[in-house]
Amino acid sequence: MFRLPSLRAVISLAVVATPLAAGDLPVPEENPVLVVSGAITNTNVGGTASFDYEMLEAMDTVTFTTKTIWTDGEQTFTGVQLSDLMALVGAEGEDIKATAINDYAVNIPRADWVDGGPIVAFLNHGEKMPVRNKGPLWIVYPFDQKPEYQTEQIYSRAIWQLDRIIVLD
Amino acid sequence: MNLPDDTSTQSRTTLVQTSGAAAALLLCVGLVVWLGWLVLREIDDFSVANSDNLQWSLAQADVEFLQFRLAMKDAQDDPAAMEDVRRRFDIFYSRMVTMSSGRVFHTLRESVQSSAPRMRVLDFLETTVPLIDGPDEAFLAELPSLLSQSEQVTADVRAFSLAALSAFAEVSDARREGITELMIYIAAVLLALFIGLTLLAYAMFRLFRLAQKRADAVQFASTRMKTIVQTSPNAIVVTDEVGVVREFNTAAEALFGFTRAEAVGRLALELMVPAETLARHQIGALAFLDEHRRPRPEEQHFEITLQTRDLHLFPAEISADRAEADNALYVFYIRDISNWKEAEEQLTEARDRALAGERTKSEFLAVMSHEMRTPLNGLLGAMQLMRDHSLSTRQSDLLDRMQSSGRLLLELVNDVLDLAKFEAGKMKAEEAPFSINRLLDGLVETAQPLAQTYGNELNWRWCGPEGDGAIGDARRLRQVLLNLVGNALKFTRDGSVEVEVEYLDAAKTEVEFRVIDNGIGIAEKDLTRIFQDFETLDSSYAREAGGTGLGLGIARRFMRLMDGEIGAESEPGEGSLFWIRVPLTPVSDVEADPEEPRDCPDKPLRPLDVLLVEDNEINRFIVREMLEGESHSVTIAENGQAGVDTAAHHRFDVILMDISMPVMDGTTAAGHIRSGGGACAEVPIIALTAHALPEERERFRRVGMSACLTKPIERPLLLRTLAQVISGEIPAIPDDAPQPARAAPEGSARPPSAPEMPASGLLDEERLHAFLSEVPRAAAGKLLERFFAEMDRNIAALAESAPDDPDLAPVAHQCAGSCGPFGVEALRRALGSIETQTKTGRLPQRAELAALAELWEQSRRALEARLEAA
Repeated sequence: MFRLPSLRAVISLAVVATPLAAGDLPVPEENPVLVVSGAITNTNVGGTASFDYEMLEAMDTVTFTTKTIWTDGEQTFTGVQLSDLMALVGAEGEDIKATAINDYAVNIPRADWVDGGPIVAFLNHGEKMPVRNKGPLWIVYPFDQKPEYQTEQIYSRAIWQLDRIIVLD
Repeated sequence: MNLPDDTSTQSRTTLVQTSGAAAALLLCVGLVVWLGWLVLREIDDFSVANSDNLQWSLAQADVEFLQFRLAMKDAQDDPAAMEDVRRRFDIFYSRMVTMSSGRVFHTLRESVQSSAPRMRVLDFLETTVPLIDGPDEAFLAELPSLLSQSEQVTADVRAFSLAALSAFAEVSDARREGITELMIYIAAVLLALFIGLTLLAYAMFRLFRLAQKRADAVQFASTRMKTIVQTSPNAIVVTDEVGVVREFNTAAEALFGFTRAEAVGRLALELMVPAETLARHQIGALAFLDEHRRPRPEEQHFEITLQTRDLHLFPAEISADRAEADNALYVFYIRDISNWKEAEEQLTEARDRALAGERTKSEFLAVMSHEMRTPLNGLLGAMQLMRDHSLSTRQSDLLDRMQSSGRLLLELVNDVLDLAKFEAGKMKAEEAPFSINRLLDGLVETAQPLAQTYGNELNWRWCGPEGDGAIGDARRLRQVLLNLVGNALKFTRDGSVEVEVEYLDAAKTEVEFRVIDNGIGIAEKDLTRIFQDFETLDSSYAREAGGTGLGLGIARRFMRLMDGEIGAESEPGEGSLFWIRVPLTPVSDVEADPEEPRDCPDKPLRPLDVLLVEDNEINRFIVREMLEGESHSVTIAENGQAGVDTAAHHRFDVILMDISMPVMDGTTAAGHIRSGGGACAEVPIIALTAHALPEERERFRRVGMSACLTKPIERPLLLRTLAQVISGEIPAIPDDAPQPARAAPEGSARPPSAPEMPASGLLDEERLHAFLSEVPRAAAGKLLERFFAEMDRNIAALAESAPDDPDLAPVAHQCAGSCGPFGVEALRRALGSIETQTKTGRLPQRAELAALAELWEQSRRALEARLEAA
C-alpha cells in the first residue's frame, strides 16, 4: 500500500529536490531550528544536516487544515513533508528518532515518510510558532484527511517543540 | 380430512405459541438492532483515539515546572543559564496552554478547570511572562522572589495534576461503567435471544409433532378407507371429475373382470357401459358423469345394464354421488342384480300365472253358469208347456216340484254368475237415477207371494224425513234387499217382516235400509259367519228353505261395489235386523214411471201376429209353442238380417228379437227396422236376452227397443209384456230413442267360448236324454231332421272356408248353438273354439276347419245310432 505513494514521492523528490541536490546543503545563516543527524548522506554542519527557517521555507512546502486533539478548532499548518526532508538529507535508516526541546522523544518508522503523510510544520495559521505554543516545529499528520491517522500511536508521534531528528541505522 | 377435536385445539395452542415466539423473536430483533446501534456507536468512538496520554501530560507539567525552578536556581549562580530559564518557562507555558486548549482537557469537570490551584498557576505564568521577556537584569533582580513564589506554585501544579488525575479517573470510570452497562445489555439481549430461540425451537418441535400426527392420521384414515373399499362386497369404482377411474376395488375386479391396474386410468364409461349404448349416446342415468356435475338426489340410485370384460351384459344397481372436495370425485357402488332380477321375474311370472289361473277359474265358472242356463231355460219352458196338456193331480204335483227345483237351480246359477263376474273384476256399480219408493214398492210386491207362503206380513216405511230420488245402482240394491227380505221371510213363521228406510244425514247422501223380522234369529257366534260364501245355517228352516249360501256373500260384495256397508244384529228367538248403508246422490226429479195399472190384463185380448227372430232352434220351438198355445200366429226369422227383411214387407203386431245371433245381431237388426222406414218401423220390439247387463238394456232402449225379457222366458211374463206393449202401456218406441234411429254398433255379448276340457265322448248323453224325454217324439223327429240338414250344409261350407272368411264366426256360432240341445258336444266345442279364435283376432288353422267335416260325420252317426236305440 505504501509502495505506490513512496514511489511517487521519489519522483516528486527527483523534481523538486534538484536545486538542493548534489550533496551541498547550504549552511544555515541563522540559528538552526532543526538538526538531523545519524545515518544520513547529505550534511552541512559537522556531520549533521542543520536547517534554519529560511532553508525550510525554501523547500517545497505543503499546507493543510485539520483539527487536533490538543487544540481548539481548525488549524492550518504549513511545513515540509517528512518524506521530502528525509530524501533531502539522504536518510538511509528505517526509523527516525524525533526529539523535542523538553526531551520528549518518539520513533517514526519509514512507513510514515510518505507523500501525503506527516509534515514538519513551521507555520500555524501562517505564523511561526513560539516555544510557548508548541513551536518552533511540530510534526503534524493530516488527521482529518486520513482518519486512519486518528490513533493513539500516531498521536504519540505528533511531536511538538521538535528540534532534533536522528536517523537510526 | 376430519381430525379429532383435541388435535385442532392443539393446533390452536401451537399457533398461539408460535405467534408468541414470533413476537418474542421480533422483540429480540429490535433489541439486537438497538444494541447493534449502541455497539456501533461505541466502536465508532473507539475507532478514533480521543486522548493522548493525559497522565503523561500531567506528570510532565510537574516535571517541567520543577526543571523551570532548577533552571532558575542555576541562574542565581550563573546568569549565563538565563537562556535555559527562558526555555524551561516556555516549555512549561506550552504545557499549560496545551492542557487548557486540548480536547482531552475539556472532558474534565468545570470544577477542575476552574479550581484555585490552576488559576494560581495561570496567574503566576501571566505575571512572570513580562519578567521572562524582559532584560536579564530585571529578571535576575526578581529571581529570589520568583523562586519563593514558585515554591507555592509547585504545590499548586501538583494539586492541579492530582485533581485532574482523579477527575480523569472519574471520566474513565463513567466510561467503563457505560461499557459494562452495554455488556450487560448485550448479555441480556443474548439471553432474551436465547430464550426466544429456545421457545421458537420448542414451537417448531410442537408444529413438527402436530404435522407428524396429522400425517399419521391421514395415513391411518387413508389405509382404513382403502381397506374398507377393498373389502367391500359391492363393487366400488371411484373416478375423477372427467370420469377416469382412480379406484377399483376387489369386488369390482371380480365383477368386471378387469384388474385394478388395467382399470385405473381408463374412462369408466368405456370400461363398464356396453359399446353400443355409448355409440348411441344412451347412457341415460349416467348422463351426470358426462356432464361433469353432481347427480341430483333422484339420479343417485338407478338400474342400468353394464358389461364385463368378456362383453357379458348384466343388470346392475348403482348408487352414485360426487364428493365435492378440492378434486371432485365420483363414487359408484355397483351391485350385480342378475339374481335379483331373475327372482323378480320368476315371482312376477308366478303371480301372473296365479292370477291367470284365478281368472280362468272365474271365467270358467261364469261360462259354466251361462251355459247351464240354456238347458235350464229349456227345462223351465218345457214344464210350462206341459201345463197346456191335461195332467193328473199326481203329475201336476210332480210338475210343481220340478218347476220349483228348476227355479232354484236358475237362482243358483245366477248367483254363481254374479260371484264369478265380481271375482273376475268385470263388475261395475251402475250410476242412474231411480226412485227409492218405487224400488221398495216393487220389492214388497215381488216378495209378497213368498211372504204369504210362510204366513208373514211384509211392509216398508220411511223413518224420519221422507225422500225419493237418488242416483245409484238400483238393480243391485234391489237384489241385495230382495235377498235380505227373502232370508227374513224364510226364517219367520206367521210373523212380520218390516223394511225401514232412513236418511243418515241431512244432505240425504247416505241411506240406511233395515230389514227387521221377528223370526228365529241368529246366534251371536254365527253373525259374522253368515256373510261368508257358501255358509248356510244348520237349522231345519235353512234346510227347508234351501239356498246356495251365496246370497249374503254376494250382497256383501255388491255393497262393497257401491261403497256401502252391510251388517246384522240378532237375538235368537226374538228376531233379526239386517242393515245396509249406502251412499246415494240425492236427485229431485225422478222420471215418473206410470203406475202399473192394477187392471192391466195378464195376456193380450186378441190373437197377435208375432215375428220371432231367434237363431236357436230350441228357443224358437219353445217360444213358438207358448205363443201358438195362446192362439197367436208366429212367423220365424232365423237371424237378424232375415228379421229385418221379413219386417220390411209385412206389418206385425209385435217383434220378439233375440240379441246374440249370427249374420246380424238383434240390436243392429232392431236399429235397421226402426230406421229402415219399412212396414214395422213403429212396431214394438221386445228384446230376448240371456242375461242383460244394465248398460246393454240402455243400449237396447237407445236403438228403439220397447222392452226386454230375460231368458228363460216365463209364459206369464211374456204374455203380460205382450199385453202391455199392445195396450200402449209400454211405449213402442222409448221417448229418448231417436225416432229414425241409426243402427248401434255391433256389441252383442260375446258367446262364451268353450272351456278347455279334455275331449270326451262325441255326445253329451245327459243332454241328449233330456232333449229326447222333454220334446214330444214327433217334434223331436222334425227338429232332428232340420238339424241334420242344417249341419250337413253348414259344416261342409265351414270345412272348405278360408280361415279369414268373414262368415266363419257367425256360421260356427249358429252351428254350435244348434249342437247344444242335442248334446253333440265334441263338435260344439270344436265350433266354439273356432268362433273364439276368430273373434279374438287369431285365425283358425285350415286343418282345424277341415277336421270339422270328419267330426260331424262321426257325431251324426253316433246320434243316429243313439236314436235308433231309443
